[in-house]
Amino acid sequence: MLLNQFLVLAAILFCIGVYGVLVRKNAMLVLMSVELILNAVNINLVAFGALNDDVGGSVFALFTIAVAAAEVGIGLAIVLLMYRNRRSIDLSEADMLKG
Amino acid sequence: MLALLAQQVPDFVRPDIDWHAAAPELTLLTFGALVTMMDIVWLEKGRKLTSIVASIGLLATMVPIITLAVDGADRSMFGGAFVVDDYALIMKAVFILTGYVVILLSTNYIAEGDYWENEYYGLLLSSILGMILMASARDLITIFVALELLSIPAYMLATWRKRDLKSNEAGMKYYLMGVFASAIMLYGMSLLYGGSGSTLLTDINESISGPGDPSAVVVLGIIFVIVGFAFKVSAVPFHTWAPDTYEGAPTPITAFLSVASKAAGFVALMNMLFVGFFGRDDVYEPVIWILAALSMTVGNLIALRQTNMVRLLAYSGVAQAGYMLAPLAVAGDVPDSALAATVGYLVIYAAMNLGAFAVVIAVARKTRTAEIDDYRGLFHWAPGLTVAMTVFLFALAGIPPLGGWWAKFRIMGAVIEANTAAGVVMGIFVAVNSVIALYYYARIGVKMWAEPAPDDDTAPVRVPVSLTSALVLTAAATIAFGVLPGLVGEVTKVSLLAGVGG
Amino acid sequence: MSDFLRSYLTVAIFGLVGFALVGAFLGLGRLLRPDKPNLAKTEAYESGVDPTGDMWSQSNIRYYIFALLFVMFDVEAVFIFPWAARLEAYEIFGLIEMAIFIFILLLGLLYAWRKGVLKWV
Repeated sequence: MLLNQFLVLAAILFCIGVYGVLVRKNAMLVLMSVELILNAVNINLVAFGALNDDVGGSVFALFTIAVAAAEVGIGLAIVLLMYRNRRSIDLSEADMLKG
Repeated sequence: MLALLAQQVPDFVRPDIDWHAAAPELTLLTFGALVTMMDIVWLEKGRKLTSIVASIGLLATMVPIITLAVDGADRSMFGGAFVVDDYALIMKAVFILTGYVVILLSTNYIAEGDYWENEYYGLLLSSILGMILMASARDLITIFVALELLSIPAYMLATWRKRDLKSNEAGMKYYLMGVFASAIMLYGMSLLYGGSGSTLLTDINESISGPGDPSAVVVLGIIFVIVGFAFKVSAVPFHTWAPDTYEGAPTPITAFLSVASKAAGFVALMNMLFVGFFGRDDVYEPVIWILAALSMTVGNLIALRQTNMVRLLAYSGVAQAGYMLAPLAVAGDVPDSALAATVGYLVIYAAMNLGAFAVVIAVARKTRTAEIDDYRGLFHWAPGLTVAMTVFLFALAGIPPLGGWWAKFRIMGAVIEANTAAGVVMGIFVAVNSVIALYYYARIGVKMWAEPAPDDDTAPVRVPVSLTSALVLTAAATIAFGVLPGLVGEVTKVSLLAGVGG
Repeated sequence: MSDFLRSYLTVAIFGLVGFALVGAFLGLGRLLRPDKPNLAKTEAYESGVDPTGDMWSQSNIRYYIFALLFVMFDVEAVFIFPWAARLEAYEIFGLIEMAIFIFILLLGLLYAWRKGVLKWV
């Protein structure tokens, strides 16, 4: 069945994304990893929607795309702010708050 | 080909819109747009007006909520994706009033800090709009959009002091954790959609519940969704962002995050558990149980060794999230009392936690920090604040006759009523943790009342009117909920969410 | 071996053949072509003008805001296309709904314009 391939692709993308978020120290790369997870979600939604012959999955995917764009916009702004203030976007250097 | 396509598409049926049911959201949206328009027209010249317009907007939003409550009928729109019932109305009222108190806390803090003001209130209103939408959302897409609508402005608000490295870091951590959590939650939602073929929570419940083992897709979906919301409510082990973000963000926003944002996470979680996964308590109960037990224990133990007031309140908030999760761990056995206990705790928690942060803001007007050592001898230079802080801390600790006691009593009642081994063990966890928590709350009390002020500096602090009114409001609510337990009991005697087959 | 894995075997074989073909042609080219390296050949090509600066140049931060505005409005189009495709079916109701949607978007654009974001400084 064709569905399996889509789900496996989505699962692989999801795992790569989670790995990237947990391991990477560069804020931009973490953002990109999150995008990978969101794309895995979109593949899942569209594949399931096609399987069930239901338009809901595609609609959900459209919402995910639009909202993800808004999210990344804010994320880039915060990364930019951090770069302006400390000339680095290395997350392991952001350690002023702890305890 | 085109004719074929046209045949496949069903005719568009105009959805019936119940304008009364949507009135709270529409009112708040109008005022949010109004604040933005004021900014576009007047730029910074209008900054004096924005906070006033924003608070009028919140109070105006209360009007349709009250008329809906008086009307009393359950309303449902868009095939059940948007539901207005008692539970939704109570939570909407909590969000609106919390937002109002946050504006009271913000007016002086933001105006004196030389930061943009117009955008601040516009974003605050957007975030609250997302929260009141969340209270009514009974559909995966609606829940997702509401969650993002409340989170995205919150990311910006946490980074508001933009030249301050700590605020940058707080916003960055909050943003990365929040986005990661919502991505994980979305993946869970996509699996649930695949397992059930619908985005409506009632349909999902129908298709995944029933006797027999659940499919792996459904189990994974439920767990991922719960993990996503566990970040939002800062449950252990997904709490790491909370103390850092709370410390670095502007303090009024910290109050907002720790009360409204956490409550919104709980609302979404309860929508999911009581409507979407209701027939799958064998899957979600153990997950919630572990989260609840870990949150209260770890939160309280780390709170013991905090030296900063905001961080202490952050960890105490983690523990409080554990208490609120406790009844949800037995939600399948005693759904009515579990829902009532958690909603009741949320209402009371909003009052006492907002109050505690109001005192922190007032004290920081003089000391400029939030170190616990600066609270030594507070009684000598701010007796009113000391009394208020004592009330809030003892309420958080759950000492009668204050509000927190009654809330905790209801939690104990619900977990014991379940009459299962898991429920009783959870009850023991709650009891032991209440004792641990008492220690660090009482320690602050001793510092405030019994120790001398550092450097004998007893110059009084000037507390602005808006902050005083916020303190009076929250203190009155905290005491009233404790002295008149019938009040909150009556208000939160919510029947099971409308739309469940039970 | 299951059908599922067998279909991936096909993918693997195609992949291998692809790599082999590309490798073979590049290797063949290397054998046949004359090899006379000089400095000018390794320089970056900038439309015939003498190259300036480093090859790893960062793009100007000013592009960020324009890119962001573009992406935002570009993505909002995903909601407008499905609506436009079924415009007659939605009648006046859909028109008003979309007008509200676009009005809110427009507020955002007006905001950006008033705050001087659209000016090239």
